[in-house]
Amino acid sequence: MKKVRENRNLIFTKAFESAEDNYIPDLDIPSSNLDDIIPKNLLRDNLPIPDVPEVEIVRHYTDLSQINYGVDSGIYPLGSCTMKYNPKINEKIVKLPGFSIIHPLQKKNEGAILLMEELSQLLHKITGMDAFTFSPAAGAHGELTGMFILKKFFEQNGNQKNKIIVPDSAHGTNPASAKMAGFSIIELNSNEHGEIPLEELEFAMQEGDVAGIMLTNPNTLGLFDRNILKITEIVHKYDGLCYYDGANLNPMLGICRPGDMGFDILHLNLHKTFSTPHGGGGPGSGPVGIKEGLIQFLPEPYFIGNEKIDKEKINISHSIGKMKSFWGNFGILVRAYAYIRALGKNGLSRVGKVSVLNANYLRKRLQEFYHLPYQRICQHEFVLSDKNFPNKITAEDIAKRILDYGIYAPTVYFPLIVDGALMIEPTETESKEALDYFAETMIRIYQETQNKPEFVHKAPHNTPVGRLDAVLAARKPVLKE
Amino acid sequence: MDFIPHDKKVIKEILNTIGVESIDALFSDIPNEIKIDKLEIDDGLFESDLYNEMHKLSLKNGLYSSSFLGAGCYYHYIPSSVESILSRSEFYTSYTPYQAEASQGNLQAIYEYQTLITRLTEMDISNASMYDGSTALAEAALISTVITRNNRILILEGLHPEYLEVLKTYCWAQDIELEFCTEEEIANKINDDYASLIFQNPNFFGEIEDTGKLINQARNKTSKPLIIECMTDPTCLGILKPPGAYDIDIFVAEGQSFGIPPSFGGPGLGIYTTKKKYLRKTPGRLVGKTKELYGDKIGYILTLQTREQHIRREKAISNICTNEALMALASLIYLVSLGSKGLKKVAYNNIQKSNYVKRKIDKLNNFSVLNQKPTYNEFLIKSPNIDRFLDLCEQDNLLAPLKISIYYPEMENTALVCITEENSIEDIQLFLENAQKCV
Amino acid sequence: MDYNIPKNLKYSPSHEWILIENEEGIIGITDYAQDQLGDIVYVEFPEVGEEFSNGESIAEIESVKAVEEFNIPVSGKIIEINDEINENPELVNESPYEKGWLARIKLANLSELENLLSSENYISQINKELED
Repeated sequence: MKKVRENRNLIFTKAFESAEDNYIPDLDIPSSNLDDIIPKNLLRDNLPIPDVPEVEIVRHYTDLSQINYGVDSGIYPLGSCTMKYNPKINEKIVKLPGFSIIHPLQKKNEGAILLMEELSQLLHKITGMDAFTFSPAAGAHGELTGMFILKKFFEQNGNQKNKIIVPDSAHGTNPASAKMAGFSIIELNSNEHGEIPLEELEFAMQEGDVAGIMLTNPNTLGLFDRNILKITEIVHKYDGLCYYDGANLNPMLGICRPGDMGFDILHLNLHKTFSTPHGGGGPGSGPVGIKEGLIQFLPEPYFIGNEKIDKEKINISHSIGKMKSFWGNFGILVRAYAYIRALGKNGLSRVGKVSVLNANYLRKRLQEFYHLPYQRICQHEFVLSDKNFPNKITAEDIAKRILDYGIYAPTVYFPLIVDGALMIEPTETESKEALDYFAETMIRIYQETQNKPEFVHKAPHNTPVGRLDAVLAARKPVLKE
Repeated sequence: MDFIPHDKKVIKEILNTIGVESIDALFSDIPNEIKIDKLEIDDGLFESDLYNEMHKLSLKNGLYSSSFLGAGCYYHYIPSSVESILSRSEFYTSYTPYQAEASQGNLQAIYEYQTLITRLTEMDISNASMYDGSTALAEAALISTVITRNNRILILEGLHPEYLEVLKTYCWAQDIELEFCTEEEIANKINDDYASLIFQNPNFFGEIEDTGKLINQARNKTSKPLIIECMTDPTCLGILKPPGAYDIDIFVAEGQSFGIPPSFGGPGLGIYTTKKKYLRKTPGRLVGKTKELYGDKIGYILTLQTREQHIRREKAISNICTNEALMALASLIYLVSLGSKGLKKVAYNNIQKSNYVKRKIDKLNNFSVLNQKPTYNEFLIKSPNIDRFLDLCEQDNLLAPLKISIYYPEMENTALVCITEENSIEDIQLFLENAQKCV
Repeated sequence: MDYNIPKNLKYSPSHEWILIENEEGIIGITDYAQDQLGDIVYVEFPEVGEEFSNGESIAEIESVKAVEEFNIPVSGKIIEINDEINENPELVNESPYEKGWLARIKLANLSELENLLSSENYISQINKELED
């Protein structure tokens, strides 16, 4: 990463009036007068976008790329984001013309359909769910799809259940998705072990108006809820459904399956667990998988992963409708499919195991310096807090100082149930050297909080810009030039 | 392949540090009855085998010499600068730019995207992107019900049928009523009880709407409902008057045409723009310009996050988190590469080529063009021999127009033709010769 | 404790203050509340003319990373809001009792004032909160 601190111009300053368009040839057919085709009052007067020579464009964005940090730059321990290495072969495959330039409405699409059928079969084996829709474009979109299915299920059964239980450790998308589907939210406080309190769960379910629970397991503290089978049993006892937020599926690969934990619906984040690149915030893909009894509610298109189900007998007369135009983010599906095929059964099992191994290694190395609120073996991630730091140093200060050492910071201030949280997820693809560098950096920063707190408080010092003023940005929003 | 760098020795060292005997000991919280021995899937593949197999699979999809199919997904020329810059892994392997100081490249690019989209559309604000055009429209519809506290929406006919299906799903869950009308019926139907009027332009049948006239019809009756415009191929903005020149409240579009390959329909790009007064009711991420806290340098940062789910949870304006950031970058590079001159030419060539073919086909016996209004790059043709015509195109390795009965069973013998700047004069002649064979 | 808690105001347990002038009241958030929230970046106001009963949320006060509801301490109708806050939300931090006032209301029921806290009682409440 370039470390030069200078004001960078925007692309608009690099425009030349005389820059020519090099891409689009002049019209090669007889033209008509434009006014004869489209009335003049529907045409625009001017087009205020810049004309920039290609070399300037390439240099401008190459420069910007050099002040941006990706997984290819180094460890990316962002908790709950599963920032693992993205194999290069997947990028090569997705650019094959037979995948990249095919139209969603073309009839000769056998390869694309086959790929999605096989992907649903693989995901069936991995998760224990029977059928999938690939429409959802992201995890939150998958949650929304799942909540719509839940809603339709109860509507069809003539049941007026209109509440969803969401634990306080959940991702913010969970309550927001349930709300968008028309549910109201019951927030359940985690107990002292960071797990679901069974008595309170049962109490809430007894009311009779609860449609189900949304759960991440391992949860956002990185802890596997040991009562998972009792939780799903209680919810089912009161005719509720169990929704699995697949954001944290990575450590479970080859170890256990949400379908066997008693979940009825789930979404997967292909851009986390199955290694498709995040693209600076997207595109993602959030397939939804369901158990056989819910197939009739799936949005179209859908794919049956469990080969034991007779496709002829399927009737989706109660489909929730469509969630997105066409087939979903197909380009992401291609990468995820290639990833699963490359790793195979042994590779995927090692993913689960080593992701947990690496997280526990970091936990162990850091817990004597940083406050660890939940003292337990963790799964893929763990949460430290800024409690007990001297000199009013905060989690944000620590995160900013980490950037100075040339690596990315953990997730901060999430989950909300830990004040001043630093949430760390190394993933399985980090070498011991990379893990050690991260641990030693964290320990060095701990020492700095004792010796030169003011310096830590004003970090970062070595990045392309110093700490940015978030308050100014929010008070006086400037969203365009 | 598993991309895991540890060997056995390293694993042993790590286990020693942790203080456990084996990796399995780390999974003691998991009940034994749900643990599995192994996954029942095949062994992994070496890269070369994987590539060859995937290559073969890709060849099972049809590849064509030229396309006459659009209907929401378009073939436009993509300058090579787009792919080149998108392959910079600092961009494509980064996460959402939560740590702004290590993500300035991404943040500045999104700020440039927001700026460019507002210039192209002349709307006040653009967000950092939505999933696609259809979901951007659905979210706009929901937001109109929040702003107006009404729950009825009026939709002008001609909306992309897939967008309509998505809209129906989202609105069903919140008990929002959808009603439909023709252009002539707007004035009679609309009143203060509606949350919004939604129309697509150019509509699904390729027709360019007279936006000013539409809006006047509605606004002469009521100022309450929002006017939402939706677009599936915004290259037309190279020539057509932009939404911001009218009194459009929310403008959404599918940005796939801007430098994103069709990729079987996804990922695309949801463009979402609105008026300044609806800033706090805008879904998705926004990048803002700011300064260093302890210095004077300019920088960019995610802002106004209190609208979003990770802070406001169930009270958030939308649940969206991941968006299509990389696709926004693609569209930014597409637009600056073409520049105003290139984009104008794209729009001009689309109009000219498509209208040329439209005129030619309309003159053929047994063929008629159904559009009454001016069209951009798509138009509807009807012929008793339509199936034969589409077959002939496929035989010549042309991707045939869309038989519209897949969406509208009552519209028999009708196809939606799409002609872009990518169709050469030879492709067009072949296409017309096939039509000639079907008179 | 370093907070400024003026004696001439009445307080609600949820950290709002009210200044009574005849049957009208000026309302805002306390010095303690603004300090807990941190830098305030935006206030979403109700419409002038809207009526609320005591304890109802009438506005949302946003910092960079949090949103807090602002509850009306007594029942009443909004007759004026502080427009200055739209342009300069920092006034709520800098001057919570003067330039950073939020709204002027017409009280519906003067007897509700008896349920509010005196400055002494409010100070002991926040001392307790700080101890916890």
